[in-house]
Amino acid sequence: MTAVKLEHIDFSYDTKPVLKNLNLTVGAKQITCLLGSSGSGKTSILRLIAGLETPQQGKIFIFDQLAAANASLFMPSYQRKIGYIFQDLALWPHMTVYQNLALGLKEQQHENYEKSIMELLDFFKLQAYANRYPGQLSGGQKQLVAIARAVVLKPKILLMDEPLANLDVKLKRQILSYIKQLKQNFDLTIIYVTHDHREAFALADHLIILNKGKIEATGKPEIIKNDQNEYVKYFIEY
Amino acid sequence: MDRKLKLSQWIGFIILAFLILVPVLYSLGGALFCNNHLSENLKSFDSNTIKLLLNSILLAISVAFLSSFAGSILGFLLYKTDFAYRQFFKIIFLIPLFISPYIWAVAWKDFFFTLTGPTPEMQSYGDLILVQTLIYTPLAMLITGSAFAHINASLEEAGLMVFPIKKVFFKIILPLIKPALLAAFTLIFIFSISEFSVPAFYGLKVFTTEIFTQFSAFYNYNLAILQSTILVLICLLLILSEQKYLSQAPFLSVSNRGNQIKLYALKTYRFSAYAFLIFWLTISILIPFGSLTIEAFQDGYQTIFKAFELLKSTIAESFILAVTGSLISIFTGVLFAYLSWSKRTDRTSSISKLIHWTLLITFAIPSLIFGISLIKFYNRSGLYFIYGSALIIIIGYMGKYGFIAYKMIENAIRQLPYELDEVAQTEGLPRFKRLQKIIIPLITPAIFGAFILNFMLMFGDLGTSIIIYPPGTQLMPVKVFTLMANAPQSLTAALTFIVFCVTLCIISLFYIIFKKFLKPTYDCR
Repeated sequence: MTAVKLEHIDFSYDTKPVLKNLNLTVGAKQITCLLGSSGSGKTSILRLIAGLETPQQGKIFIFDQLAAANASLFMPSYQRKIGYIFQDLALWPHMTVYQNLALGLKEQQHENYEKSIMELLDFFKLQAYANRYPGQLSGGQKQLVAIARAVVLKPKILLMDEPLANLDVKLKRQILSYIKQLKQNFDLTIIYVTHDHREAFALADHLIILNKGKIEATGKPEIIKNDQNEYVKYFIEY
Repeated sequence: MDRKLKLSQWIGFIILAFLILVPVLYSLGGALFCNNHLSENLKSFDSNTIKLLLNSILLAISVAFLSSFAGSILGFLLYKTDFAYRQFFKIIFLIPLFISPYIWAVAWKDFFFTLTGPTPEMQSYGDLILVQTLIYTPLAMLITGSAFAHINASLEEAGLMVFPIKKVFFKIILPLIKPALLAAFTLIFIFSISEFSVPAFYGLKVFTTEIFTQFSAFYNYNLAILQSTILVLICLLLILSEQKYLSQAPFLSVSNRGNQIKLYALKTYRFSAYAFLIFWLTISILIPFGSLTIEAFQDGYQTIFKAFELLKSTIAESFILAVTGSLISIFTGVLFAYLSWSKRTDRTSSISKLIHWTLLITFAIPSLIFGISLIKFYNRSGLYFIYGSALIIIIGYMGKYGFIAYKMIENAIRQLPYELDEVAQTEGLPRFKRLQKIIIPLITPAIFGAFILNFMLMFGDLGTSIIIYPPGTQLMPVKVFTLMANAPQSLTAALTFIVFCVTLCIISLFYIIFKKFLKPTYDCR
């Protein structure tokens, strides 16, 4: 089953083209890593999938439903059942951990939202920090709160934009194992953006390598490892 | 969604433009083309007009230069050094900014009166420059201080690896705060060239007093407006030439982001720094306030009671109108700033530019002309409900000072990462809920700062209010100014002493209220 499909996407910021005639498919319930150097268009793809941007040309399908096409938005972000973890986490600094998790649930009038929050805090071992503000947490704890907030609304797709960029190796390993558990426990489709090929190979069921807004290679990690494309070889050996 | 956003922006702009910009364009157009003779109308610019214009420009340049220079020294000492009492001085030095200019004019007149007796020399252009410089220096201090505080320590430390401190100041720090210095200069130039009450009180001939004479003594609306077009063009030209810098400058910013600031040890310069700060405290606050107090209490409490009796009916009305005006300015400022910010890919849309320029043009126009434009436009059937009520005052306040609130709030919002808003968007929060739950709590300090500054400017406004106040409305600055014309020196001092005390009490009250609700600033990174 296909979770996300991008067809002939053209996208630019102001006059600067970012993606040109891009076609991309993401399978459901698997972890797809978008791997590429800075400026390759990884974050733009996430933002298009999330509905934060609209492509100038091309179509976006979310679980076979048309979400956007040719500069028109048909499905706003909140209808797409998507959780988004931004690179700098974007935790609301004026709200406690609990309030960060509760805001979206309250808005969507979830019943028993308190129970959902407590379960998640328990899963991420964050109960003791429920009443703390983001500024009072360590880097790893902030990371977990951001993940918890992104999955609290029970999304079908989780978008992660280089979420481990500033963590040490030990914490990275710990959080990567959390992400794998998340996929199992929540039946999630995860699209994970990174420029670190080790992170991508450790996590991905499926890999997409991007260069200057175009796909250089796509496939399972073991296939990509043996890809003969010059850019791919250079990128994963570097 | 985007169409809705654009539509709401356009509706907001059209209402704003109708209320404040159309009257100005209508009056300017009318003055230029009345009787369909543009060339005839332009002949009214005689040598006397040009002399007055040069007077005003020279005065404004002098005030802007001196204030920016003194303000940047104060900004550096209070924001970039390890000076022990800098928090105290930062607050106390702001007082001149919060008190109406004419009060300082009265205070300095009293000082010279006490010192030398009534001599004609004490009401010279030099006095005007001195008084205005002391009033506007805190503004330059605020703007440059904020710029100093925003310089990342690592930039200076990288410089210190290769240069001595002195060179770091000239090679690194000064170029980094150049946009703020230019912003301070421009802003003070506009305030100074538009200022009416101080030259009018000293009986000095400048462009604004001439405009007032044409309007109030000869009822020559068109000539008054026509003369002011040059002033408007000069202000706009100055602003245009600095737009490139201003758009990136920390223009009147109230910081939201935490930033590591490098503080320099004063060491051997400590004594000189103390001496300078105490000197400034003496000339900018102690002397004028002391003179005012001595003069006001010369006949005991009797004159003070009399002055209070004369003013008491105006205090509440002025307060309510200034609070209403500030709240409306803040509301529109937040709304416009958020709507133009919330679309990451569309930051410089034409509608945002139109809003920016509408507020900027009415801000740059001298207060008197803005007032005249409003009454010319609203004095017609169908719009009497505005002309004859306090609504015209609110519109006047909004047009004159809305730009400051908008700019302060826009700058604060611009410092927030987009992701804070976008993550709430993915969670299904509608735009105005995101504004209420995420954005407003994070920019509360900027909102507070904008409210206080707008309130004080509106509460002490004389230039626009003296033209537009409708019958039955009594505003404190207008009443004081009217009474001052024929009042003895001691009563004038008592009136201004009361205004001074009332203003300080209100600021303190606001400070206490906001301190209760104001949460600490958050590091949004």
